[in-house]
Amino acid sequence: MVEPAPVARAARPAAERASGATARTPVRSAWRSALVGSALGLAAVAAGPFLLDTYTTNILIRALFLAALVVGVDILWGYAGVLTFGQSAFFGVGAYACALVFTHYGFGPGWAVGALALGVLGAAGVAALVGWLAFYHGASPLYASIITLALPIVLVQAIFAGGRFTGSSSGLSAFPTYYWSVGTWFTIAGVYLVAVTAAAWLFVRSDFGRLLVAIRENEERCAYLGVPVSGVKIALMAASGAVGAGAGFGYAAFTNVVAPELGGFLLGTELLIWTALGGRGTLIGPVLGTLGIDVTASYLTGALPFLWSLLIGIAFVAVIVLLPQGVAPVVASGARRLLGRGPAAPSPLALAPAPARAETREGVAAPLKVENLSRRYGSLKVLDGVSFEAQAGAILSIVGPNGAGKTTLMRCLSDGGERTGGRVHVNGVEIGRGAPQTVAALGVGRSFQNTNLFDTLTVGECLTLARYKRDGARKFARRLALDLPQPALDILSATGLSDRLGLETRHLSHGMKRGLELAMVLATEPDVLLLDEPTAGLTKAERTAIGGVLVDLARAHGLCTLLIEHDLDFVREISDRVVVLHQGELLMEGTVEEVVASDLVKAVYAGERAETAP
Amino acid sequence: MTILALDIVTTALILFVVAAGLMVILGVMKLINFAHGAFLTVGGYTAMVVTDAGLSPWLAAPAALAFGFGAGLLIERVIVRPLYDRPLDAILATWGLGIVITQLITLGFGREVQFAASPMTGTLPLGDTEYSAWRLVVSGVALAVGAGLTALLYLTRFGLNARAVIMNEPLARGLGIDSGRVRATTFGLGAGLACAAGALITPLLSVDPNMGLPWLVNSFMLVLVSGVSIPSLMLASLLLGGAQVLVSSFVSPILGGMTIVVLAAALLRINPKGLSLG
Repeated sequence: MVEPAPVARAARPAAERASGATARTPVRSAWRSALVGSALGLAAVAAGPFLLDTYTTNILIRALFLAALVVGVDILWGYAGVLTFGQSAFFGVGAYACALVFTHYGFGPGWAVGALALGVLGAAGVAALVGWLAFYHGASPLYASIITLALPIVLVQAIFAGGRFTGSSSGLSAFPTYYWSVGTWFTIAGVYLVAVTAAAWLFVRSDFGRLLVAIRENEERCAYLGVPVSGVKIALMAASGAVGAGAGFGYAAFTNVVAPELGGFLLGTELLIWTALGGRGTLIGPVLGTLGIDVTASYLTGALPFLWSLLIGIAFVAVIVLLPQGVAPVVASGARRLLGRGPAAPSPLALAPAPARAETREGVAAPLKVENLSRRYGSLKVLDGVSFEAQAGAILSIVGPNGAGKTTLMRCLSDGGERTGGRVHVNGVEIGRGAPQTVAALGVGRSFQNTNLFDTLTVGECLTLARYKRDGARKFARRLALDLPQPALDILSATGLSDRLGLETRHLSHGMKRGLELAMVLATEPDVLLLDEPTAGLTKAERTAIGGVLVDLARAHGLCTLLIEHDLDFVREISDRVVVLHQGELLMEGTVEEVVASDLVKAVYAGERAETAP
Repeated sequence: MTILALDIVTTALILFVVAAGLMVILGVMKLINFAHGAFLTVGGYTAMVVTDAGLSPWLAAPAALAFGFGAGLLIERVIVRPLYDRPLDAILATWGLGIVITQLITLGFGREVQFAASPMTGTLPLGDTEYSAWRLVVSGVALAVGAGLTALLYLTRFGLNARAVIMNEPLARGLGIDSGRVRATTFGLGAGLACAAGALITPLLSVDPNMGLPWLVNSFMLVLVSGVSIPSLMLASLLLGGAQVLVSSFVSPILGGMTIVVLAAALLRINPKGLSLG
């Protein structure tokens, strides 16, 4: 039913131009750098035992395992913005799985595989549980830090409470293990680290990696686009827990000694220090930071035991205060200047119209039905007994003076946890207490009053993110072509964004941000569109363009649109029906003419007492 | 039974006085001071230095308060001020500061466990039982600190300014309140209270460079559960501290060590506002 509009044709050549212009795409570049990096890493691992003395090799094995643990910290903190104090606990779980099985149950290849599986699955389970506790809609970032801080404390106390089974405070030692040569263990640890780092390198450069950055920058916005933010974080925590447990298992099998400190809070904070010094969100920085600091520490603690910790502490404070991104970006930009290369070009993205959805919207008469909705803050009633229906293929405008409860209404319609009373049905389904991503999955798309986008993401990345609900996100690759619904493409070309897919959104003008915001919401293919002042601060021309798209959406695509607007001329031009809110109550609902003609509405806008009106 | 009740009440009051400095800083500055544990340690060593110098042990806590206040002003200027917009980074920077302080103490005093003289030893008769005199004194001081902080916040000019900054900092600045000065004074006050608390608890324990660490975690949890108000911190200390005493006495001291952490995490999960009374 969608005809290829001229705008779509205009969008394509632009994208093709972009893809032809840059040969060095981040996708290919990520695979190439991962291969080159892995080859270099493996070469270093192969050469290590021949070049280094036994003492250094021994220390490095520990550092290599810890560096694999730090990769998880960097992905959680540097990319997804979760400050975790508890990553050491997963290392401890892996280490104790090894020690407990080998000490108490048995030893052999089967037992070793079983113990490793136990450790990895156990850690993933603990991590998922911790994630479930820490990440829920509305949780503060601090709460996640509190939970991850509590985890190692609880784990260490549990080990203390384990008595002879866990060895209490002295730990377990001298259990049977594989007494391979130091060189073999070095190879195992090195290969593990290279594999973990390479996988993480590809992961953070994928669409999913950009999704993590989007969550860090604006978690709420992600949820309203239908991204299951908490689920993503829980999965991330579980995966990093599993990787950490693998490292802990290897370390315990190598050293033949485990102690409660391996899972303790202090090691957890050390991991953060190494990550911060190396450069959070760079992967290579924290890995090299860990190797460098841990090895140097082992050499220097003998000679200058307390001075070394003092220097690390001072460096840590200085880096956090003066150089929050750590050392790696400084080195990287220096290297780029030497090599004369700029940062990798943003991903070229070809846009195409998405096939029209098979299901028709005409089946449900009223996609949005609101019954007796109320929202109170203590004794303050912001919304009280609001009931109305919105039809498919119609634009319903919500007007009312400042403080009438318009934006609160939008919030209650898009987040099940917001309202204090009443019911909201979307496509005939009660939204219950669903979080924004649940409501978005039912078919609600919401744009915001202020343009809160993702600063460091490009326009193309924002659009890819908005398609998460439909297309998912690739975990180890970048999408090169993106299918968008026709109305979203129309908005992009009307605002000139289709030529700027590689631009970071913070460089966009206000009008373009508005356009992108709307295009992102439309990209989710909602049935019910909630727009909070979509034309605020726009020029007359932009306003007309957006108005045209909205009318077209309703007429041609049968979308049910709710619009908050202050500009009554604009409302009059495009609305089918109007709802007037006043002091949290629905004052009247009717056609544009009825509302404009109403004395009651005039009285409210003129500031007279509404109660005296008939 | 009386002993158990006294244990609960005195433990709660000791927890309260230890956490008070952290709460003051979080309340006004919205900043979690992870150097709190190190400040407690500094207080402990101040008490040791004072008593080793032959001065009265009663002077330990006031000396620690003064020292902590001065050091706090300096630290706020150098480390904390650039981090007001980055609360999670401030946690890390103050943690790093804690490491630096701990290592300086280790370099200066050695890492071994030491003892400071107590102003009071033995027990006091209390009804039909006897109870540790110093625990009772510390409890009294804790009550006085609670009353003093309340008076400071609600009866003085500084308190009025501080409350204005807590509620709406841009508006407070618009009214001509020097919020930078309020913040600096607050950090000094918080650090001073932490050091004084360290000096107060020292006679109950021994002094070592890491003595503050377990207290840091418990204080952090209590302050977060209580929100930022003096009565609710008192309530949180009583509930969670009481639970700690009960678990330690009847179940196991090891589980008692993690009671506060686990309960606080659970409470905050159920109600993100914790026990906040306001």
